[in-house]
Amino acid sequence: MKLTWPLFLAWKQLFPSQRKVSFFSLLAIVGVALGVNVMIVVVAFMQGFQQKFRSDIIDSQGHARAVPLQRKIAWRKDSQKIASLPEVAMVSTYVQGHLLVQNRDYHAVPFSMGINPSQPKGVLPINEFLKKGFVPVHGYDSKDITPVPTINSLEDDVVFITQQVANRLGVRAATVLILDDQNVTETDGKVQVVRLDPYVESEEWMIEFLAEDRYKIKNILGSIELNCSLDEPAADLGWGYPQFRVVPGDKPFSKGDRYRFQTFRSSILEIYSPTMIEQAKSDEMAPPREVRVGGIFEVPWQGFHTDALIGTHRFMEDMRGEENVCDGFFIKFQTNYLHDENKLGELCARLEGELEGNWRIIPWFVENAWFFDLLKFEEYLMVLIMIPIGLVAAFAIAIALMTTVLRKIREIGLLVAMGGTRFAVGMIFCMQGFIIGTLGALIGCGLALLFIRYRDSLMSFIVTKIAGEEGQAGVTQFYDFYSLEVPYPWESEQSMITFLTFIVFAVLVSTIAGLLPAWRAARMNPAEALRSE
Amino acid sequence: MSNQRENVVLKASELSKSFSVLGTSDLKVLDEVNLTLKQSSSLSIRGDSGCGKTTLLNLLARLEPADGGTIFWGDREIAAASQTHAMEASWRAKHIGVVYQSYYLIPELTVMENVLMSVRLSGLPITEYEGRAKELLEQMGVVNKSMQIPAKLSGGERQRVAIVRALVNRPQVILADEPTGNLDERTGAEVMDLLLSSCTKEKTSLILVTHNPTFARATNETSTLTDGKLIYE
Repeated sequence: MKLTWPLFLAWKQLFPSQRKVSFFSLLAIVGVALGVNVMIVVVAFMQGFQQKFRSDIIDSQGHARAVPLQRKIAWRKDSQKIASLPEVAMVSTYVQGHLLVQNRDYHAVPFSMGINPSQPKGVLPINEFLKKGFVPVHGYDSKDITPVPTINSLEDDVVFITQQVANRLGVRAATVLILDDQNVTETDGKVQVVRLDPYVESEEWMIEFLAEDRYKIKNILGSIELNCSLDEPAADLGWGYPQFRVVPGDKPFSKGDRYRFQTFRSSILEIYSPTMIEQAKSDEMAPPREVRVGGIFEVPWQGFHTDALIGTHRFMEDMRGEENVCDGFFIKFQTNYLHDENKLGELCARLEGELEGNWRIIPWFVENAWFFDLLKFEEYLMVLIMIPIGLVAAFAIAIALMTTVLRKIREIGLLVAMGGTRFAVGMIFCMQGFIIGTLGALIGCGLALLFIRYRDSLMSFIVTKIAGEEGQAGVTQFYDFYSLEVPYPWESEQSMITFLTFIVFAVLVSTIAGLLPAWRAARMNPAEALRSE
Repeated sequence: MSNQRENVVLKASELSKSFSVLGTSDLKVLDEVNLTLKQSSSLSIRGDSGCGKTTLLNLLARLEPADGGTIFWGDREIAAASQTHAMEASWRAKHIGVVYQSYYLIPELTVMENVLMSVRLSGLPITEYEGRAKELLEQMGVVNKSMQIPAKLSGGERQRVAIVRALVNRPQVILADEPTGNLDERTGAEVMDLLLSSCTKEKTSLILVTHNPTFARATNETSTLTDGKLIYE
């Protein structure tokens, strides 16, 4: 069967000679393109969200968590054994529990976790959490220049708490403000605070230049006064005092340049443990443990406890009144296990065997399966809701093509009289559906690629128009569009499958839409068609 | 084989066709019609409106089945009462050209594309026939309109294009159904002259259905369809 002429006629009916495009073709193609674009964009964004949650989860808790299956276990030996495996990048042990935290009349019972601060690059990126949770103070006549706390501040009497806990208790970490009323000439040099540990007291500090390259650091009480030179390393008063650093600019400092700072000490929390409550029952009242707030953190993974406290391993052991205890460890594997869940599952099972069945190793996707099932369900639901869009476009195409068949009855008769078979004549209309579907799908893919490329600008524009400048912050806090990684089809197999699926869907549905008109045209009696008025 | 010897390109034997009127009685429009068309010959068929002239052409082209009789396309014998078959389309595309009163040019195509539709339908190579199409359009005086769409052509020009379309792939027979019906007398005469001279030049046989006695007389044979019978004059 030669189908070149039906294809030629189908093309010409959509894009007639001497005209660029027919109105019907334009509408139909744009309709399909928009449908394909919307479907791809929604699914791509859903997958982007899934990918983001995936990386957030892995960043928050590693690839897997080992949970002991026995009460007494040689956890140090086992964690070292796991850490020594070539597939394992790092292991972080933890102790967990719930503690009652009090600040004056405010209470919170956060999920508490003790980690080993000697592992600055542990599985949990604590420094990243602290950076994310850091909220500067907005002063009227001052500027917050507090350095973001790091895990180095974590000691046995220092804890990190989440923003929710901090807000509930009304507490904060140590803060330093640079006051606006400073006497500074035209220098572009800067004075910074490079360390503000949790033991810093509330005080006012001043740096005053005695000459271009000499200055003194003093507190307002006058108890400390230190002469320094730009040629020497930054003066360090030690733990409990802010450490300043003077950075000279192109224009030198002048005698009399003065910078004023106000430090605020970190809040002190009183902590009770369930052990203490047990002791109280037997009239052994223990005083609460006093700790300082070393930093406020936020975990990017929303499934993590919003009320949480992180202390040292020893602090948690003390609070539980136990020694040599470990509730499990977080494991991060080498990068080749990042994306292959099957491979990761097999590895976890193998590790369980190597640890002689004393530990259960739960990969991240099993631990959070409920969440991903929910996201998948949402994605399928979205697709189900959007499929009718495609079907409506198909109905529109079918109706338009049916109208064309009725309008072209005599042409259909002529084509048969000229030697066309009825099947081939029917194919003209089927091919029109195919062409509309193919072009619509390709343009829809192009639009989707543009949308993915310029998603930040577009989302910002849309959100600003809907929620306004102020509302945008709230919306983006909830739906973090800007950090979404939405891959192009050539970057990810999953994205390629999404694009191909919707291309095939659009082409199929449009072609099927052309089948009814095609059948109507094919069963037409050519003699009657030629006689028709 | 006998048809080939006598150069018969189209023959109908005892061709009958009836239509049911209001679903009850049958109206017999063709009653055992016999017709023979030799190569390069022309036959005109006249008759009252609705007497069955167009039906006869449709039956000869196998666009619909007859009630009885036999049709010979060259040496190919076809039971006229059998259902039309897809295989016949290919033969029809190569051997029969059609010209209608209403031209039936495809509005989305240019004149040249309309002409070459016959070639496309026959499955012949377009490039080999482009020159011939241009030549025929030149003979018909519409070569300067080859890139125009039909909507920009006059009635006479459209019919000339339709004739070129019928002739371009060198069919053995042209079935022309009142080709001058929509044209004024002068244009009609011009078109008829062109059609007849082209058929002669191309050695193509012609069956011409017309009401015009002058045009009818211009053919080799003339006939009239009356009461379902084809009477040769």
